[in-house]
Amino acid sequence: MAMKVDMSALETNFSIPCLDDGDGMHFSADSPDVPSMVLPTCADFDGFQAATKDMVKNKRGTTTLAFIFDKGVIVAADSRASMGGYISSQTVRKIIEINPYMLGTMAGGAADCQFWHRNLGNKCRLHELSNKRRISIAGASKLLANILYSYRGMGLSIGTMIAGFDEKGPGLYYVDSEGARLVGNRFSVGSGSLYAYGILDEGYRFNMSVEEAAELARRAIYGATFRDAASGGCVSVYHVGPDGWKKLSGDDVGELHYHYYPVQKTSVEQEMTDAPSTSA
Amino acid sequence: MVGKNCFAIASDRRLGVQLQTIATDFQRVFKIHDKLYIGLSGLATDAQTLYQRLVFRHKLYQLREERDMKPETFASLVSAILYERRFGPYFCQPVIAGLGENDEPFICTMDCIGAKELAKDFVVSGTSSESLYGACESMYKPNMEPEELFETVSQALMASVDRDCLAGWGGHVFIVTPTEVQERVVKGRMD
Repeated sequence: MAMKVDMSALETNFSIPCLDDGDGMHFSADSPDVPSMVLPTCADFDGFQAATKDMVKNKRGTTTLAFIFDKGVIVAADSRASMGGYISSQTVRKIIEINPYMLGTMAGGAADCQFWHRNLGNKCRLHELSNKRRISIAGASKLLANILYSYRGMGLSIGTMIAGFDEKGPGLYYVDSEGARLVGNRFSVGSGSLYAYGILDEGYRFNMSVEEAAELARRAIYGATFRDAASGGCVSVYHVGPDGWKKLSGDDVGELHYHYYPVQKTSVEQEMTDAPSTSA
Repeated sequence: MVGKNCFAIASDRRLGVQLQTIATDFQRVFKIHDKLYIGLSGLATDAQTLYQRLVFRHKLYQLREERDMKPETFASLVSAILYERRFGPYFCQPVIAGLGENDEPFICTMDCIGAKELAKDFVVSGTSSESLYGACESMYKPNMEPEELFETVSQALMASVDRDCLAGWGGHVFIVTPTEVQERVVKGRMD
C-alpha cells in the first residue's frame, strides 16, 4: 500500500482576505505560503537591484556563533551595527527569540533578519495550531530556507543560524540568503567569524558544563570583537535546553577585556629630564 | 588642542588592514624636538617614512642653524615636502603641535598634499575626524590648565573613536608644557 506524501505542512489552511491597501503586502491562499511583495516596475530590474544592494551597504559586520554540546545549544552574538566605518549602534539585539524553544541569530541586513525571523515565528505558531505539535528545528529552518531561496538574487542579505531544542534533541541549522541550508554542530557567521572559529574550535568539547560552554562562547565572541573592527559592543550568551532558551549573560566587551587582561601596574622609574629653560 | 601655555596631542593606537586589527600599540605621534610634536594619520607606512624624512631634515637644520626649528617653520617644511609629491602623494594627514616663541602654543593640520590649516583651539585628522570635530567643539574651553586639558582631550578622543569601527583600541596622549612633557596611555574600549 503506497503512502501518500503528507504535504499538509506546505498548505495554507486558512484564507486571509487579500487587502491591498497600498503597501503591497497580501497573503493569498492559492499561492504557496510565500508572501508576495510588490516588485518595482522599471526597465532594468537587475541593475536597480544591484544599485539598491550597494546603497543599503550590507556588509555583515558582526560575529555570531552557535554550537551543540551534550546539554543543548549555546548561542552567542556581539551587538554592534556598523554602516561602513560609522558605528550606528552598540546595543543591537542580534539573537532573535522566535519562540520559547527556538532562537535565530542576525547577521547581514538588520531589517531583513528581523522581518523574516518574525515571519518564521508566525509560520511556526500556525504549524503548531494546525498540527497540535511543535514544529521541528529541521522543519522551521526548511521553511525559512525555501522562502529565502525564492528571493534569491534580489538583494536580501541574511546569514542566520536557527538553533533550538525539539523531540530529536538539540538542533542547529545555518540558513542564508543565497539559499544554503546546512546542518552542523558548530557555526560562526559574520565578518568576525574567522576569529571566533579560532577560539571556538580550539576549546570545544562535546562534554562540557553549561558554564564552561558559555565561557567558551563568550571568549570566542570577545576575541572576534578585539580583532574585527566591525564587531563589538556587548556579548550576549543564550543556552537552549530541553525546557527552552534562557539568556545566560550580557557583558560589555570593553569591561570584559580588562577582566581577562587586567592592567599591570608597572613600577617604572622615569627619568625626569628638565627641559632647557625658555630663554634659549 | 591648545591650553594655557601648553598643548596636548593625542592619537588612538590601532594598526589595522581594513577590518582586521593587526596591532594595538602603534605609535602615531612622534617627537621632533622637546617642544614640537607631529601626529600622522592615514597609511601607516607613509606615516613612518614621512616621520623619518622629517627627522632627517630637522637634524640637518639643527646642525646648520645650531638651534631647534620653530613650529611655524616646521609646518612650512612639512607642507613643502608633501607638495613635492603632488601627483603621487603620501597618504597621510599630519597634525603639528608645538610651543613657539615665548612658549606660545602653535597647532596646525594639513591634507595629504600640504594645504596648511592653522587654528587657535584644536585640529583633528583621521577616520573619525567628523566625530572628533563635534566632540572637541563641545568640550573645548580656552586657557585650560594641563590637567584639565588632559581630561578634555582624552574624553573627546575616546568618545569619538567609540563611534568609529576603524579607530580606537586605546589612546596615547602627550601634554607638553614649557618645563615638562607628560606621556599617558589611556585605557579604552578594545573593540
